[in-house]
Amino acid sequence: MKLKKLMALAMAGVMTLSLAACGDTAAPAASDAPAAEPAASEAPAADGEEAAAPAAGETDWSQYAGEKLVVWTLANDLIDFGERFQEQTGVEVETVVIEPANYPTKVQTALLAGETEPDIIVGEPQMLQDMYDAGFFADLDQFGAQDYADQIVDYIWQVGQSSDGVQRAISYQITPAGFYYRRDIAQEVFGTEDPDEIGKLFADYPTILETAKTLKAAGYRIFASDSELSFFSGDSAWVIDGKLNVSESRLAYMDLVVELYQQDLTAYAAQWSTPWYQAMSGPVPILTAETQWGTDDMNIWDAESFNAATEGMETTEVFAFGLPSWGVLTMRDNVGETSGKWGVCAGPAYGFSGGTYIGVSSYSEKQELGWEFVKFCTLNEDTANWWIEYSEGDTVSLLPVLEAHKDDENAVYGGQKLYAFWLEQAEGLDYSKVTKYDTAIGDAWGAAISNIKTGAMSKEDAIDEFYDQIEATYAGEITVER
Amino acid sequence: MGHSGHYIGGIDMAKAVSKPKKSNLTKYNRAGYFFCAPFVIVFLIFSVYPVFRTLYLSFTDAKVTTLNMHFNGVANYVRVFTDKYFWKALLNTVRIWGLNIVLQLGLAFLLTIVFSDLKYKIKGLPVFRAVYYLPNLIAATSIAFLFRTLLDWRYGTFNQIIAGLYKLFGMQYNPIDWLNTASTAGVAISVIQTWMWFGNSFIMLMAGVQGISKDYYEAAAIDGAGRWTLFGKITLPLLKPILLYVAITSLIGGLQMFDLPYLMSEKTSAAYSSVQTVVMYLYKFGFETGTTQLGYASAIAYALFLIILVVSIVQLKLVNKED
Repeated sequence: MKLKKLMALAMAGVMTLSLAACGDTAAPAASDAPAAEPAASEAPAADGEEAAAPAAGETDWSQYAGEKLVVWTLANDLIDFGERFQEQTGVEVETVVIEPANYPTKVQTALLAGETEPDIIVGEPQMLQDMYDAGFFADLDQFGAQDYADQIVDYIWQVGQSSDGVQRAISYQITPAGFYYRRDIAQEVFGTEDPDEIGKLFADYPTILETAKTLKAAGYRIFASDSELSFFSGDSAWVIDGKLNVSESRLAYMDLVVELYQQDLTAYAAQWSTPWYQAMSGPVPILTAETQWGTDDMNIWDAESFNAATEGMETTEVFAFGLPSWGVLTMRDNVGETSGKWGVCAGPAYGFSGGTYIGVSSYSEKQELGWEFVKFCTLNEDTANWWIEYSEGDTVSLLPVLEAHKDDENAVYGGQKLYAFWLEQAEGLDYSKVTKYDTAIGDAWGAAISNIKTGAMSKEDAIDEFYDQIEATYAGEITVER
Repeated sequence: MGHSGHYIGGIDMAKAVSKPKKSNLTKYNRAGYFFCAPFVIVFLIFSVYPVFRTLYLSFTDAKVTTLNMHFNGVANYVRVFTDKYFWKALLNTVRIWGLNIVLQLGLAFLLTIVFSDLKYKIKGLPVFRAVYYLPNLIAATSIAFLFRTLLDWRYGTFNQIIAGLYKLFGMQYNPIDWLNTASTAGVAISVIQTWMWFGNSFIMLMAGVQGISKDYYEAAAIDGAGRWTLFGKITLPLLKPILLYVAITSLIGGLQMFDLPYLMSEKTSAAYSSVQTVVMYLYKFGFETGTTQLGYASAIAYALFLIILVVSIVQLKLVNKED
């Protein structure tokens, strides 16, 4: 009986503790508040000293004492920006990271319900137009955003504008695309490793096919996957005045991808898969129909024997990867032994992908403070310099800073001056060719290409199927003329 | 504070219990509503309201947001029922589910026969039950990643093993791109679903078998019934309610299939149009950037609901008729 009582007491204790623990999550609002207050009240004092610091600019932060900014973002970067903002201004920042696929829905649910938080919302280019149309982003021109127009890379400024020409969001980074290539392979096969010269090998789709054939003859593959080309997939808009536009360049792109596949010119690693990353660091084994695996006495169930048997099997090295400027970091983390042997050159068309655009919620009650945050993240030279160093090579959008870093050499890329290169690529971008339909139409076009290259459909049928898809998806919205 | 402990919903419990007059009983009943309230409120807000809101949306032309939406009658429903990609998605769903349920129940049944057979006397049922159930505990995302890696075309373990086996017999194997070929992608997903769910069916069938009284078997054995007669005349008929339950819940779940096909397919793949399920199609219009059309997505949701309802009723009727 005693044991039972003891057990009962112990259980009761556990229950009480667990309830107390549960209460914890709900409690902080109340219990933290007093603790937060002194921090906030201390802030202005600290500010007073820091106000002279250039990062804080001329803003009098004491007027925001005790206020808190709530940031909803889809990229972890803003956690760091938020922490730095809090450090320098004393204004508390709460950053919530939401997975990109769910982001538009969450923001929409909150804002349509009239929530005054979040104060700061963000978007990627393909989401922005809908978010502008829904009126989620506050007008930044009322705070004088246009005064900064000439300080930001042109296309970034345009992406941040709604169709009525009002500035609503700004990105701290530029994301133009380029080809990352192996300098050692270039030297061996083409006798040069100069980015301008190698760029000529990627100048247009037919030239890329020739380059791919030359590389295969030399024992290499031009790309790990045919998705490398997707960032340069067409130099035209998918939709013009409500009509679907399949330009000649789209068809040429289609032909190139089909050829690359059917002539065995890539390493067939799916983009973002493990072998795809592996191909950045050196040779990858490749399983093809012609060259079978291993030797006759290979025992696939025995690791040692399997390794020994597959040692001499066919491997291939990949020449180039097509990625936006943020690929500088992806490559850096995966190139391993080949670090220093890479270069970056231009592709057959100007392209870009991604980028986090920061704006202020129209429903926020702290719009002015929100604008200060946007300015701090995107228009502040100190922040941009700090970000270049902190991110170890991300490409910022603030022109004076890009200019100041234009002679920075990147050791992973053989000492190439990448900031100057990316700026040049960004300047070539024509944002008027970008539509909100690009992702969905691009995917359907990609499926049509896959159907042709794998022999599942004829070119004619695949294109017809593509037209059907677009008609079914955008019934009454996009006209399809076959 | 000390006294208020005896009050629940403003009613003195001691009085309510000691004087069971009618009026007090009524009050006592009201306290019940108070206790139910948290669930009912949450249920109303998060389950009932969305059901009606979706119905309402399905009659509007709402696009990305519900701002500026207009009533457009049954236009969305007309569009759903004339959209060939909706029917294709439904066919894909039924195809993937159909193969899956046959394999899943077949395997579960086979295991049930083996484990319930008195002659085999297999020990360690709880261990096997747990092991068979394990795949069900793994998150779909992990399973998708695992199998995408294993089934990779040129680099996947699966193709490497097949190539090795072919080699042993002196043959050549042209690797199959399992997840990007229209004819194999759906099958691969069915088999993975089977692997995930057969343990679940097995547990239910075993529970059903264990619920059958031993008296029937003894009586039949005395009458000279063999193993297959016992199975066909006793086990199978008595398992019917469980089988029906498994089949209906599986069908309802199957028609709502989303996670695995979504995670294992690429929109640019040649196989995408053969593994896109109805809920993936709904998701495209409900949530994906660039294609969001809330009104249409809601109509797809209701069309799917109607189809599930009809199929479930037919299934129930059929079984009852046999009885």
